[in-house]
Order: sequence, then C-alpha cells, then structure tokens
Amino acid sequence: MHPKVPRRLLAALCATAMAAALAACGDNVDPNETPTRDASSIAGSFAGAGASSQQSAVEAWIAGFQKKNPDAKISYNPSGSGAGVTTFLTGATVWAGSDRPLSDDQVKESTQVCAGKEAFDVPVYISPLAVVYHVEGLEGDTHIRMDVSVLARIFDGKITNWNDRAIAALNPDLKLPDLPITVVHRSDKSGTTLNFVEYLKAAAPKEWKYATEENWPNDVGQGAKGTSGVISTIDQANGTIGYADFSQVGDLGTVDIKVGDSYTRISAEAASLAVADSTLEEESAGSNRVVLDINHTTTTEGAYPIVLVSYDIACPVYADADTARFAKAFLGYVVSDDGQEQAMRATGSAPLPDNIASLVQASVSKIAPEGE
Amino acid sequence: MNSPSQQNTGTPVGRGSAAPARAADEAPVIDFDKFKPTRSHVAARKRKDLFMRVLIVLAFAIACIPLVSVLWTTLARGFRRLNWDFLSHNMTNVIGGNPTPSGGYGGILHAVIGTLEITLGAMVISIPVGVLCAVYLIEYAGKSRLADAIHLLVDVMSGIPSIVAGLFAFSMFALLAGPGTLNGFEGSVALSLLMLPTVVKTTEEMLKIVPNDLREASLALGVTKQRTITKVVLRTALPGIVSGAILAIARVIGETAPLLMTAGYIVSTNANLFSGQMTTLPVYVYQEYSKYRANCPADASDGCVTSIPMERAWSAALVLIIIVLILNVIGRVVARVLAPKKK
Repeated sequence: MHPKVPRRLLAALCATAMAAALAACGDNVDPNETPTRDASSIAGSFAGAGASSQQSAVEAWIAGFQKKNPDAKISYNPSGSGAGVTTFLTGATVWAGSDRPLSDDQVKESTQVCAGKEAFDVPVYISPLAVVYHVEGLEGDTHIRMDVSVLARIFDGKITNWNDRAIAALNPDLKLPDLPITVVHRSDKSGTTLNFVEYLKAAAPKEWKYATEENWPNDVGQGAKGTSGVISTIDQANGTIGYADFSQVGDLGTVDIKVGDSYTRISAEAASLAVADSTLEEESAGSNRVVLDINHTTTTEGAYPIVLVSYDIACPVYADADTARFAKAFLGYVVSDDGQEQAMRATGSAPLPDNIASLVQASVSKIAPEGE
Repeated sequence: MNSPSQQNTGTPVGRGSAAPARAADEAPVIDFDKFKPTRSHVAARKRKDLFMRVLIVLAFAIACIPLVSVLWTTLARGFRRLNWDFLSHNMTNVIGGNPTPSGGYGGILHAVIGTLEITLGAMVISIPVGVLCAVYLIEYAGKSRLADAIHLLVDVMSGIPSIVAGLFAFSMFALLAGPGTLNGFEGSVALSLLMLPTVVKTTEEMLKIVPNDLREASLALGVTKQRTITKVVLRTALPGIVSGAILAIARVIGETAPLLMTAGYIVSTNANLFSGQMTTLPVYVYQEYSKYRANCPADASDGCVTSIPMERAWSAALVLIIIVLILNVIGRVVARVLAPKKK
C-alpha cells in the first residue's frame, strides 16, 4: 500500500464527519431520545411553499416527521397561497399549501409536473376564525353575543355604535357602552378575509351583498397588514372589532356566534363540528380531490361556523421515486391523527373530523412513483 | 465686536506702507465709526446667531432621536432572549411556544451561517469586479466614451431597488438551473448587484486621491504600468478601498426582499451555499414577526411563551446589528494595519 493512503483515508473520513456534523449543526434534539431510523426512513432535501396561514402548523409537522426521519430536510416557504401554487406548477416544490382549492385551469396545467396525471388537493388545516373586539370592561370572561345579521351590518358600516339596539337585544345581561365601533380588516390579500366574507355571504345574503374575494370589499373602518397588524390595531384602540386566526387572539375578547338557537364560543372542537357537517364539492375537476364546501349555515349545536380551511396540493404520481415516497409519507403523517394532534397543540387548529379524515387519508395513500 | 473696525483703520489706507506721506494726507479721511455696527444691530446679530445655533443643535438632536431610539429599543427588547442557546441552535423541532429539549426556544445559528455565507459570496463576486472596473475607469479609460457610459450605468445601478436585483437573480437561476430554483448563491448574486456600484464608486474616489506624483515617480523609475497600479496606486488606496467594501457590505447585509425571493427559508441548518434553501437573519426576523404569536395548548408547561416569535425577532435584529458593528471594527482594523507607513 502507498504510505500516504491511510493518511488520506483518515482525512477523507474526517472531512465527511465534519460535513455531517455541520449539517446537523444546532438541531434541537433531545439527548435522551435518539431518533429512530429504520428501513422506511426517508432521507434527502424536499421543499414546499405556500399559504402563510399554515406556517406554524407545517413547522410542527416537519418537527414531528423528522422524529422518525431525521435525515429528511424539509423547507416550507410561507410565500402565500398564490405564489405557492405557481411554484408548485413549475415543478420546483413537492407540495404546495393553499387557502384555496385549485382552479380548473390549474388542475389542467398540473399534468406537466405530475408525470401526466392531475394534481389533487386535500384539506389539512382547519382553523377557527375569531371575531375579535376590544371594548374596555367587556373582555376576559365576558363575551359579546352576535348573530350573523348583526355581524354583517357591523362590518358593512350599518351598525356604528356598541349600544345599538340590535346588539343590545342579543346581550340583555351586558351593559354596552356608548362608543363608536371601529371595524379593522386586512389591507392585504388574504385567505382569512376570503373565508370570513364567504361566511357572511353564505349566512347573511341579504345584509352582505359583496362578491367574495381575498381583498376586503368595502371602505368601512381601517385596514391593517397581516394578522399581526389587525391584532395590534385592535389592541391599541377602544371600541374596535375585527377578525383573525384564533391562535393569534391572545387576551382580546371574542364574539359568541349564534348557531341554531344557541350561541357557540370559539374553540377548535366547535370548528371541527362545523366542518364535519359540511359537504364535498362534487363538481371539482380531477380525481382524488377532497374540496370542502363549508356549511356556514349549520345548525348543529356547538358548531362554530367561521372557519379557515387550508389545503395541501400534491401530485398523485411523481416521476422521481424518492419524491413520491416522501410525499406519501409526509402528507400521510400530516393527515394522520398524530399529525393533526401535533398541529392542534402547536397552533390551536381544529383536527380534521373523522368522516373527512378518512377520505383525505385514502387520497393521500394513492400517491405513487411513476410506473407503479 | 470692535476688532473688525480696528483692523480696517489699520491696513487698507496704507499708513504703514511705503506710499508717500502726501498721498496719505490727500486721501479722504474715512470715518470708520460710521461703519461701526449700532448696538441694536449687534444685538440682532447676536440673536440671529443664537437662533441659528439652537436650530442646528436641534436638527442634530432630531437626527439622533431615531438612531438612539432604534438602538435602544433593539437592545432593550433583544437582550432578553439573547444567550448562548439562542446562538447555537436552529429552529428545528420548535413547536408553538414550547421550550426545546435544551431549555431554549430555538435559535438563529442557521440564519447566522446563512447571512455570513451569502454575504461572503456577494463579496467574492462584487469586490474583484468593482475594483477592476474602478482601475479601468481611473487608470486606463481617461475621458473615453466607454468610460462615460460605464459611469452612467454605475449611477443607474446604484439606484436599482433591491427587489429588482432579487428578481434578476431569481430569473437568471430559473433559466440556468430550472424554474423555481432557490439557493444561497442565488442570494449572493442578488446582493452582489447591490454592492457593485458602491464598491466601484468608493474605489474610484480612493484612486482619484492617490497623488499623481507617486505614479509619475514610479513610471520614471522604469516600473511598468501594471506594477505601478498594483504596487503603488492600489497599495496606497487600500485602506480606503477596504472601508468602501465594508460600507457596501453594511448596505446589503440587512436586505430582506431579494433574499426572500432567492435564498428561501428553512428551519434547519444548511451550510452548503450552492444547494438547498438558506435562511438569513433579515428573513428570519421577517418570518418571526409575521408569526407574531405562538400557541400554547391548555395543558402546556409553564415554560410555554406565547410572545416568543416577537422576542426571537428582536434578538435576531440585535444580532444583525452586532454583526454589522463587528464587520465595521474589522474593516477599520484592517485599514489601519494595511495603511502605508508614514514617517
């Protein structure tokens, strides 16, 4: 043997070890809990992109998934629903998160990146949207009650004072102050706005005449950028009302919504009930798709009808076998009971109701590499 | 206040000069007292002087307020979560507001690595190109039309919005390496576009102030032009060039928009500049700010902090400021060490 060979071997070994050490640099692993690697573990770099509403949930899913697959590097770029789907349709990402199901055109376009098959979307993240207010003295344990007609009139600028007779009639026990109502809404394009106005439109078609879109439709009140902007604007002034993701509410008051004959307080379980009572959209093009038509006028007792549903978009067939294996395993984990529980703990989202979950799991389990 | 009038009586009439005495006699006698400022005039001037002084000091104070306020707020809010755990961990396995196994709440190791690597990449691209461009402009081009064109282009380039640089790098890599490619080097390319004009301009200014005598002396001794430039001109201008480069780095290290588009965002550490997404400090701050609040489930431990994303954002911002500060200090030290010795 050449005298330099052992030394070179040692150097090569050291270099590899260093690269590996650097790659795992700073990971937050429990020293008492060694990650379990087995034959089915997945390794490699995979990317997703899309809705920022899912970001915290996706981070929790990535953390949960990496417990069993410590060598999988997964990135999720919270660039927004539109950008996420566009990137997915270029083939640069494995999956996309989106607050909206795919349009028919997008489904057709997806055959180019899905080895000739059409992409599908499944609901993965259900989050209740709170109607948040800040009225001094009426927060904490007290919750103002409203029905959808009052809500629609407030957000349309028809009811302008907290002591309006319509609100007082629903809250006989509360002493409502003589205080003007300031509506706070999202100034940017947002899936939160879309889902909120969809609710108003579906449940109060007489009072809410605007088209449903991602931009706020009227000039009432004040706009704020992002959920964080809405929350901080509401927090800073007295007499404000707005809508935001439940997990961001903090100490602000939330409105109890009239459902059927009773009032429902916002909670993950209540949102889950409303989704369970919803129907599937039949006419959505493509197979394997699970697109929910949320039943905003549900009368199920204890159901909370204002929910944001966020979808994951993936291919049924991937040209690359490793990518297919990853997509199946990762999305399978996301929609499993474990994954939904993980997201609920991390973000306060609602778990998928059983009837929907079984459909979604069936869809995801059909993901396969090309030719199988 | 009397001094100006006294001086006036002394010199211009030429009493002390060599002019003949008669000329001095015939000259009209000037009553300098007439020109003396009246008392009210003096008072008005004093008032004006005081007023302007106050105005200037006020302007200075106003200019300082945001600076001090930004520094103070970042220090006060960022200090809380800034510890070794924060610096030595990334964001993997951070769930909601819960503490990680090491007792921290995730950290910025991956973002610091990303920022340093991407900025280094941008330096490697833009400093050689920028310095050579400046050498061409000063030493070779003279007043040619090409030089004018380059000057114009550099001026235009320094006004490019950073997002356009990001778009350029994004589309360039989409063409070269397939659509939707995101990696650290792409971010370096975007940043180098923003650095280049600053490097060219500062180097040019530094080369201009190298005395021509040095060049001529060197050439007169028979030294070739190439050696004159590398050993005399660039050597003399080196401290200035280094500080110009540091300025350029300080300009780009806090860029968010182009990096958001080109380098992506990932929670785990990626030390490979050429493959895979990379988080940088400004992007990290932005993403943590957009999360705003983390969730703590009802049965969470006491260690669960809902406001942790904002606290992480402030600490990361503080680290970014400290990195810029360290780079500035390094730049100054390097400039001092390299400065030509004066006797």
